[in-house]
Amino acid sequence: MVDDNELDMLRNIPTPAPSADAKARALAAAMAAYDLEKNPASTQGTEKADRLTQRARKLWRDIMQKKLIAAPALAGLVALPIAGYATFYLMEGSPFNFGAEQEIAEAPSGRLKEAPVAELRKTDSGAAQTAPAKPLAAASQAAKAEAKAAADVEAKAAADVMNEAAPAMPAPEALTDAASEMSRMSAPTLTTQLQGVIAPSDMPMAPPENRDRVEDFKTNPVRSALEDPVSTFSIDVDTASYSFARRLLKEGVLPQADTVRVEEMINYFPYDWKGPEAITTPFNTTVSVMPTPWNEHTKLMHVAIKGYDVKPIEQPKANLVFLIDVSGSMDEPDKLPLLRSAFRLLVNKLNADDTVSIVAYAGNAGTVLEPTKASDREKILSAIDTLAPGGSTAGEAGIREAYRLAQKSFVKDGINRVMLATDGDFNVGQTDDDELKRLIEDKRKSGVFLSVFGFGRGNLNDQMMQTIAQNGNGTAAYIDTLAEAEKVLVQDASSTLFPIAKDVKIQVEFNPAAVAEYRLIGYETRALNREDFNNDRVDAGEIGSGHSVTAIYEITPKDSPSLAMDPLRYGQASTGNGGVANADEYAFVKIRYKAPDGDVSKLITTPVTKTNEVASFDGAGTDQRFSVAVAAFGQKLRDEDATAKFGFDRIAEIASAARGADPYGYRAEFLSLVRLASSLQGNKQ
Amino acid sequence: MAMMLDESEASDGDLIGRARDGDRTAFGELVERHYGFVHRVAWRWCGNRSDAEDIAQEVCARLGRAIRDYRGGSAFTTWLYAMTLNAARDMQRKSARETAKTTAYGVHALVAGDSGPEAEDPAERMWAAVRQLPDKQRDAILLVYGEGLSHAAAADAMTIAETTVSWHIHEAKKRLKLLMRSAGEE
Repeated sequence: MVDDNELDMLRNIPTPAPSADAKARALAAAMAAYDLEKNPASTQGTEKADRLTQRARKLWRDIMQKKLIAAPALAGLVALPIAGYATFYLMEGSPFNFGAEQEIAEAPSGRLKEAPVAELRKTDSGAAQTAPAKPLAAASQAAKAEAKAAADVEAKAAADVMNEAAPAMPAPEALTDAASEMSRMSAPTLTTQLQGVIAPSDMPMAPPENRDRVEDFKTNPVRSALEDPVSTFSIDVDTASYSFARRLLKEGVLPQADTVRVEEMINYFPYDWKGPEAITTPFNTTVSVMPTPWNEHTKLMHVAIKGYDVKPIEQPKANLVFLIDVSGSMDEPDKLPLLRSAFRLLVNKLNADDTVSIVAYAGNAGTVLEPTKASDREKILSAIDTLAPGGSTAGEAGIREAYRLAQKSFVKDGINRVMLATDGDFNVGQTDDDELKRLIEDKRKSGVFLSVFGFGRGNLNDQMMQTIAQNGNGTAAYIDTLAEAEKVLVQDASSTLFPIAKDVKIQVEFNPAAVAEYRLIGYETRALNREDFNNDRVDAGEIGSGHSVTAIYEITPKDSPSLAMDPLRYGQASTGNGGVANADEYAFVKIRYKAPDGDVSKLITTPVTKTNEVASFDGAGTDQRFSVAVAAFGQKLRDEDATAKFGFDRIAEIASAARGADPYGYRAEFLSLVRLASSLQGNKQ
Repeated sequence: MAMMLDESEASDGDLIGRARDGDRTAFGELVERHYGFVHRVAWRWCGNRSDAEDIAQEVCARLGRAIRDYRGGSAFTTWLYAMTLNAARDMQRKSARETAKTTAYGVHALVAGDSGPEAEDPAERMWAAVRQLPDKQRDAILLVYGEGLSHAAAADAMTIAETTVSWHIHEAKKRLKLLMRSAGEE
């Protein structure tokens, strides 16, 4: 036992004085609440609502007093009406007023209250920036749960109550269960009532439905070098998939296989590949061949491309149009507020000559800021701050308006880029992916580039983002934290903003005399037809200043014991030219690209020979080994056959041995994700 | 100025009465007067400045909504204790649910989470242990030892029986002993 003397010192602890700021805010909150109460709206009739448990207990008491359940038979007869009554009673006044302030604008009878609350929130907005988990904002999410058809919910609630009422006392869990159901169905209406009730916040909310839209795709199959010697794909410098997977893992969920695009995970990390000397050859290719860590009988062919790093003095003028989604769905702490901070970071990075315009779209699209020089920073920042969420999403109109502004202040020989920030929820105007694609393709010809930044989850339209970015000479990134915004918009600003080559395509021809089978890891959504490679009309990915892009093939050498396909009995005869040219080569890598403003593609070729090969995996470069670890991790998350027997612990081993300098800690974070995924996978089994 | 001085002489009872009748100034003064009190209790409960400020703000808002329902059945401070402890508990539950989300805001959390001085002072260490107690025990200790209330008054604020308060205190003391010992070993 601790004695009283010791406990008495509890009283003597000095309490830090409350900050004047917080106090002022609290007083304002108090006055606002007080004023609200002064003119209670007509619907606000629940002066004294009981807590849920009390209500259930009272209900039970009422039932007992009425001797309704005197005999089992009678009980059977009246069970149904009681269930109905119980439901009605429990729903009469729900003690949920989460996010009442936010939702209030939608309820006509609540109009009166709108003004003071808005005022209050204004004073609070500064604080909300630094601490996004503030109750107000967080609560709105809970209250957003959709209204559902009453009938089945009622039945369920009633059943729950009856089940639990049969033993001596109604257990609170059952009620919260029923209550969470209720909150789902009555969220929009209940916000008009019950300002006066202190909300118990311990009710578990029904998890919101996951409406992320992702394109599903199949993993690249193993191909025979004999039948299908050529592999063609477009380059992909998007990073969205990695940050999205990271967010899910940190929330304790394994990402769906379709959200994991291995190439985007690999390309998330900066690698120190050897770059080109001058801008005349925009990029340099480094190819290496090494043993596969997850299969001793195959090899990895690692193709690394590094873009020319444009020096800051050579950086052309930029004309940026921020196209910002301010629809109602963006009203969450990890969406609009995060977006504002993200763009603020970017604006601080710009040169004085650059121009910025802002288009916001919700119910309809409107220009918030006409093209403004970046030197007029205050004006831009205050325009960003005025963005407020609300309404539906007229994405198409927004895109048109943004491209119009970009044209208006078009900088010749400069950067013209629309930067779209959205949760991808387009629901007014052109909402069909194919139609959007056509619109974007049309706009692409004007020479304006496009970047897409995804925010939030639960409603993320990953598929639409990919469609827009892939068809609009653009890139897609997913921003889940301010740290990620900092990486994309500040660290990688030059590669995000300054393209050095567009329509970059890779074609690899394998030598059947040396390689029996091959498999491209990732790039499933970027596959091109063999003939597309030489067709300059076919769009492909762009590479920014200093970007690095990595593609990895798993190749099976000719006489390897682990062939996926049996050799053809009559296969040998078909080559029949008595010895292939360049027989000592593994493959021949061809890259086509266009200058950012060019229409005609140029070609770079690199043969892959034994001189590119290292004997052991550990002999490969640090960055090579790390990218292979990421590739293994991505495949593991996709639950692919190739890595089925390869444990997360091995991935962590490779990655930690290949951490290198890691100045921004990205690789350390990757390691923690591997550990997370490992334990989550363990839970699943 | 003189008038303001005069008003500050007014008793809580007066102010409450006028606030209930819709006197805005009286209500403002009432909140102003008790903000420090609420903040202190909140701070002791959670031991973290930004949370304490949030809790205090929440209590103020609740006060604004509920002042007209205050019937004066118990002392105003007792009512405030109850309200503050409820708000603190609600806040804690909410933040437990939000933990996953807040980790995503690593950068923000660093800015927002100044968690006060390191526990060097024995009283501070004791408070840290108190904050690990189950809710009811934590409330009881806070009210009886932190705030110096009698068991009966604490029972009032917690709306439980006096004997139950004593029992919570007893349990808490046993638990604190263990907590303090394990803290010492670290």
